[in-house]
Amino acid sequence: MLALTAAGIVLAASGAAPLTLASQVIKSTFGSSFGLEDVGLLLTPLILTGLAVSIALKIGAWNIGAEGQFYAGAFAATGIGLFIPGPTVVILPLMFVGGALGGVIWILIPTLAKAYANVSELITTLLLNFVGVLLAYYVATGPWLDPGGHALGTTARVRHEVPEFWGTVHWGFPLAILLTVVVAGLLNFTRWGYEVRIAGSNPQAAKYAGMPFRRHLITVMLLSGAIAGIAGMLEIAGTVHRLQGGISNNFGYLGIMVAVLARGSALGVMAGAALMAVILNSGIILQTQGLNTSTVLAITGLILFFTAIGDELAHYRIVRSEPTA
Amino acid sequence: MNAIPKTSPARPRGTPPVVLLKGICKYFPGVVANQDVDLEVWAGEIHALLGENGAGKSTLMNILTGIYTQDAGEIIIDGYAQSFTSPVEAIAAGIGMVHQHFKLVKAFTVAENIHLGWSETPAKISPEKLESRTAELAASLNLAVKPAAQVEDLSTGEQQRVEILRVLARQARVLILDEPTAVLTPAEARELFRALREFVSRGNAVIFISHKLDEVLEISDRISVLRGGRKVTTEETRNCSQKMLAKLMVGHEIVLNDLRGRGAGAVPISADAVLRLDEVRALDDLGNVALNGVSLDIRAGEILGIAGVAGNGQKELSQVLTGMRPICSGNILVNGHDVGAANAGEFAGFGVGHIPEDRLHSGLAPALSVTDNAVIREYGRAPVSLGRWFRPRAAIALARSIAEAAAVSVPDFTMPVRNLSGGNQQRLVARREMRIADKLLVAAYPSRGLDVGAINTMMRYFVELRDAGVGVILISEELEELLNLSDRIAVMFHGEIMGIVETASTGIEQIGMLMGGQRAAAPRLEPASI
Repeated sequence: MLALTAAGIVLAASGAAPLTLASQVIKSTFGSSFGLEDVGLLLTPLILTGLAVSIALKIGAWNIGAEGQFYAGAFAATGIGLFIPGPTVVILPLMFVGGALGGVIWILIPTLAKAYANVSELITTLLLNFVGVLLAYYVATGPWLDPGGHALGTTARVRHEVPEFWGTVHWGFPLAILLTVVVAGLLNFTRWGYEVRIAGSNPQAAKYAGMPFRRHLITVMLLSGAIAGIAGMLEIAGTVHRLQGGISNNFGYLGIMVAVLARGSALGVMAGAALMAVILNSGIILQTQGLNTSTVLAITGLILFFTAIGDELAHYRIVRSEPTA
Repeated sequence: MNAIPKTSPARPRGTPPVVLLKGICKYFPGVVANQDVDLEVWAGEIHALLGENGAGKSTLMNILTGIYTQDAGEIIIDGYAQSFTSPVEAIAAGIGMVHQHFKLVKAFTVAENIHLGWSETPAKISPEKLESRTAELAASLNLAVKPAAQVEDLSTGEQQRVEILRVLARQARVLILDEPTAVLTPAEARELFRALREFVSRGNAVIFISHKLDEVLEISDRISVLRGGRKVTTEETRNCSQKMLAKLMVGHEIVLNDLRGRGAGAVPISADAVLRLDEVRALDDLGNVALNGVSLDIRAGEILGIAGVAGNGQKELSQVLTGMRPICSGNILVNGHDVGAANAGEFAGFGVGHIPEDRLHSGLAPALSVTDNAVIREYGRAPVSLGRWFRPRAAIALARSIAEAAAVSVPDFTMPVRNLSGGNQQRLVARREMRIADKLLVAAYPSRGLDVGAINTMMRYFVELRDAGVGVILISEELEELLNLSDRIAVMFHGEIMGIVETASTGIEQIGMLMGGQRAAAPRLEPASI
């Protein structure tokens, strides 16, 4: 409520009628299949980046670099899609693997640095984001620039597409959900998952029980990178079809938010991603209503801010102690 | 025990007590920490505050020093009602506290620590002046410190003296000490007691928090016993005995007794060692030698006590014994086989259980559920796992049976284990380890932070294991506990075993001497006043 009120104040300040806009947002998000499709399209990458950050947290690492891994995955997938000839049936899985590998390579150095030299992954993964973003800008405006010149600053269209499964929503969406369920299953129903949970929660306890902490750390962080890379690949092959600067739409950073909202549960990742997708989509709708981008960004930020605080507070219970006479 | 003469508290007529607490109540969510506590402390007395863990001693003192605010009741200092909202106000009123964990800046010198955050410290002063001021203070208060030394280079006893000096320098007239002897050698403790006596003889007062009965009897003039947040009684120390105090603390009589005797049906001590250390050397976390040529034999069905002042290699020894710390040289033999560089998981597989000294840091993953923590030793085998699969249901079933054996009531097995009390956590860990310890159990400071009841349970567990033919290594700083339980006691000093003695034929003085670094062969001539 606070979030909505704050958002309303910002809207009123920028000269729009908050209530009309609100009804517009609700109508166009849930009242039409287009709206729901848009949310679905946003959901896919959000679930995956959220999952990537969330699983790294399970082993006690903060993967702030999902953004960079997303770009690396998108970059690898685009490269494969553009320059390797072959039928879609072959190339699409290749792009998938390539995307995952791109993410893995992007997180490899931070992972090894953390595992063997105890270098904080917060800094290394974060810094590599900028490298990833700039790499995408560079190839999209330089070597891989669309020779047809349809648009500025993008590569040519990648022919191979993930088929659509409902409206404009592609099969990447169910795939993201499947991946989430698989990861949740691994964590909760395998010995490996149990060891990861213990090791991530308390490395000393893992040592005490004789679990290979370093090996789990490396595996899980690489898996995290792979998932973020897959998110980038799906964005190319399912939604945008061209590599361009800004393709990630901040999904990597929003993934951190999703993971925090999810509080370590896989179902939570889906719910957190859904919430985020609705908020983002509302932002897009607001833009079509003629609000400027900065206002929309401010509102999105405010809502996220209040949601996070509200979520944290919701985990406290008010306890009153009755003095026993 | 009566080496230090007691001064009887002088109470001039008409003088109010220095500290008077009236009807203090403090509630925390779901817990009554203090209820209607009255306490009188007179100038010139050492007043002991005795109670089990969780009896409300620390809460009461935190209220007196302004860290907490009471929910009801009055604090009256020198006859004037006071309400402290911060420790700064308490110290201004002359009430200072030395906490169990020192609050010193390790990289600073003694002089700097004394003057830190003190309104009387001049704004600009040279290190030399600071040190000479400190030396003057120390001399006037009769506390020997080295002003120029860095705090991290000092022994714990010296650090404590710095803490006390810091409090006294701020004109404290009431000195509160929280478990001051826990970190001291017997000699250092005696020195502390002497300093306290002198302090009160100048018309000041000391509140001495402890749960060690013998030292309370030795040092205090009066004793107040807290139980379950309420004050049970205040007694003149000369009218008290250990037995009576123990009874007051726990609410029923406990027997401090000898548990070394075996009942019928107990498995006798084996001839061969279940575990043998042969000239083992190991390093600590900083790369210093922590164990220097340690040789030990532990036989099945015996309890081997490890005595020594904390920090003389006991922690590293427990880690070496359980595979958590690699050794640089020497051999570890389990059942006669050299195990070389096995890890902790493999040691557990050999049947070596381990109750680590810091259960929250290494024995448990505090944020994870009770279930996850309960199965940490057996997750790799049926029924908790089948092949690569982990079975949450089977895990809960195992957790439930461990909790039952430990007599811990767990309302919800998915709740984080840190929500359990310290005693319950320790019982859970102990029971979990006992399940896998069919050769050896290594227990490092198992009674640390526990109350008398929980300690007794713990001791009973060890006797049970011993009688079942398992070797038990009990590392402890409580000599009484070691003497009650162990068949033999090894004393550690500076990473070496100073001697291994048969408990039956050894006195506490001899062990005390070994703890101080004197070999059994070279007794020093000194009045036995320990």
